[in-house]
Amino acid sequence: MTKNTHDADVAFIRALAELLNENDLTELQVKRDYAEDDSLNVRVSRKPPQQIMAAPQQMQAAPPPMASPAPAAMAAPGPAEGDDDPASHPGAVTSPMVGTVYMQGEPGAPAFITVGKAVSEGETLLIVEAMKTMNHIPAPRAGTIKRIMVGDGDAVEFGAPLVIIE
Amino acid sequence: MFNKILVANRGEIALRVIRAAREMGIKSVAVHSTADSDAMHVRMADESVCIGPPSSAQSYLSVPAIIAACEITGAEAIHPGYGFLSENAGFVQVVEDHGLSFIGPTADHIRVMGDKITAKETMRKLGVPCVPGSDGGVPTLEQAQKLGAEIGYPVIIKATAGGGGKGMKVAATAGDMEKAFQTARAEGKSNFGNDEVYIEKYLTTPRHIEIQVFGDGKGRAVHLGERDCSLQRRHQKVFEEAPGPSISAEERARIGKVCADAMADINYIGAGTIEFLYENGEFYFIEMNTRLQVEHPVTEGIFGVDLVREQIRVASGMPMSFVQEDLRINGHAIEVRINAEKLPDFRPCPGRITQYHAPGGLGVRMDSALYDGYSIPPYYDSLIGKLIVQGRDRDEALARLGRALGELIVDGVDTTVPLFHALLQEKDIHTGEYNIHWLEHWLESHFGDA
Repeated sequence: MTKNTHDADVAFIRALAELLNENDLTELQVKRDYAEDDSLNVRVSRKPPQQIMAAPQQMQAAPPPMASPAPAAMAAPGPAEGDDDPASHPGAVTSPMVGTVYMQGEPGAPAFITVGKAVSEGETLLIVEAMKTMNHIPAPRAGTIKRIMVGDGDAVEFGAPLVIIE
Repeated sequence: MFNKILVANRGEIALRVIRAAREMGIKSVAVHSTADSDAMHVRMADESVCIGPPSSAQSYLSVPAIIAACEITGAEAIHPGYGFLSENAGFVQVVEDHGLSFIGPTADHIRVMGDKITAKETMRKLGVPCVPGSDGGVPTLEQAQKLGAEIGYPVIIKATAGGGGKGMKVAATAGDMEKAFQTARAEGKSNFGNDEVYIEKYLTTPRHIEIQVFGDGKGRAVHLGERDCSLQRRHQKVFEEAPGPSISAEERARIGKVCADAMADINYIGAGTIEFLYENGEFYFIEMNTRLQVEHPVTEGIFGVDLVREQIRVASGMPMSFVQEDLRINGHAIEVRINAEKLPDFRPCPGRITQYHAPGGLGVRMDSALYDGYSIPPYYDSLIGKLIVQGRDRDEALARLGRALGELIVDGVDTTVPLFHALLQEKDIHTGEYNIHWLEHWLESHFGDA
C-alpha cells in the first residue's frame, strides 16, 4: 500500500468516526473494493452511552490487575472523552435512582416522549421503577427532546443519562 | 444454592464477601455510590450498580436503591457486611417481602438483640450471665445496702434517667453506700428531674471478651471460642486476638456452651457475637451483634473455617459444614485495624494512596480494598485495612505482627500503623496483661490525649 492510499484511508476512517458521533450511531461498517486484491474493510463502533452494567465475565477469567491505576472491570458509562459524555451534557436529564425504565404510563399506552417532541417544565419524560414504586421523571425545564438514551425495560443506575433536552 | 448475590457494602468487607462467593461459584453484584466508582469492590465483583450519590443515607443505606439493584441484576440474596444495613430489622423484612434472601439472622433476632433491655432479659432467661443488679429502681437506702451486700462491692448507683456521667456514683465498700446512694439520687433529681436510681455490680478492670457463635436456624448452633478485644479507644476496637490470653480452656468450654445452647434455643441463624465484660473469672453479658464482625478473621485463622461461606450456606438452607466437635483451635491469631487516621488525635485522613504494598509470607493475611492510586473518599469509615497474623503460639504471632507491619507500605495518607509499632514495644502487650482501660491510659501517658 502506498503512502497516498494510506493517508486517504486514514482520512476516510476519520470521516466515518465523525459520522458515527454526529448521528449518535454505535456501529458503522463499510467495505470498499478498490481492485481485485485491494480492498478496505472498516468497522467503527463505540459503546452505547446508556450501557450500565460492568462486563460480567471479565473478572471470572482473571483476577483484577491489582497494580493498574484505573478501574478495569467497570465499563465506562459513556465514551471515554469527557466532553462526549452524555451525562455531562448541559441538557442531560440523569436518573435520580437505580431502577427499571418505562417509557409509557402503562403497557400499550403511547410513549411519554419521542425525539423532537417539545416538552414543558415538569412534564413526565419517563418512569423509573424501584421497589414497585413508579417514579415519574419530570422535565427539569421546557425544551425539545434531542436524544433518548434509554429504552423501555432498560435497567439504569443512579446518574445514568436518560434524555437530552435542548 | 444461590446463583448470584448482591453485596450491600463497600471497602474490605465487600471484597471479603465477593471472594467467598467466587470460591463457591456464585456471581457477585457490587453496589456503589458515585464516590466509589473506582473502588476495588466495584472492580472485583462480577457486576456493579451505581445506587446513589456519596451520602450513605442515599446510597449504602437506601433500601429502595438496594432492592432495585437486586431486581435489575437478578441477585437472589443480599449480604449486608457489617455496619450500614446489617442490623436493620426493617430492611430484613423488606428483603424477605420482595422474595429475596437476607444473608444473616431473621428480622426478629435483630429486633430482640437490638434493644438493650430486651436483649439482656432474653439472655438472662437463656442462662447467659449478665451484670448482677437491681431489677428496676431502688427506692430506699436499706434496700440499696441489702443489694450491695448481695452483689458484692464495688457497685455503681445510676440514675434511671441519667446519662453522660451525671447521676452515676461508685460505692467501693459498704461504708460508701449511704453517700453514693444519696448523691446519685440528688444528681438525678437536679439534672433529670427524677431521683429514681438502680444498682449494678461495678467492674473496675474488665476485659472485653466476645464469643463467636453460629447457628443454622434449625436449632443447631456452635461456638467458635472467644476473641479478646480489650484494646479500645473510645469504644472502638483497634487490636483483637484469639484465643484470649486470660481465658482457660475450661472457661472457654463453659461460656462457649452456654452461648451455643442459647443460640440453639432461639433458632439463631448465621454468624453472631455475644459480647461480655470479663473480670475475676466471671463473664457479664453486654450485648449481642447479630452480624459478621470486623474482627472475624482472627477466629477464622485459629479454626481454619470461612465464616462468610458458612453464612451463605445456611442462608440458602444448607446445613453448617461443621459441628462443635470439628472445631479445634490451632495456634494464635491477632488482627490490627489500619485506619486512615493521623496520630495522636486519630483525626480521619482521607486522600490519595501514592503507594500501597501489602505484607506477605507465612501466616499473614491482609484484608484491604486499597490499591496504588486509590483515593480514599471522605464520606465513609476510616478503616482501610486489617492485618491479620497467625502463629503456632502468641509469641510467634506477635513476632509475625511486627515483621508484617514492617513490610506494609501505605503512602500518601497518615495511618494508625505507628500505633501498633509502638504497642509492640510494650511489655503488657507481650504478657497479655491489659484491660479495657489500658489503651486509653497508655495514650494519655504518651500523648496526653486519650
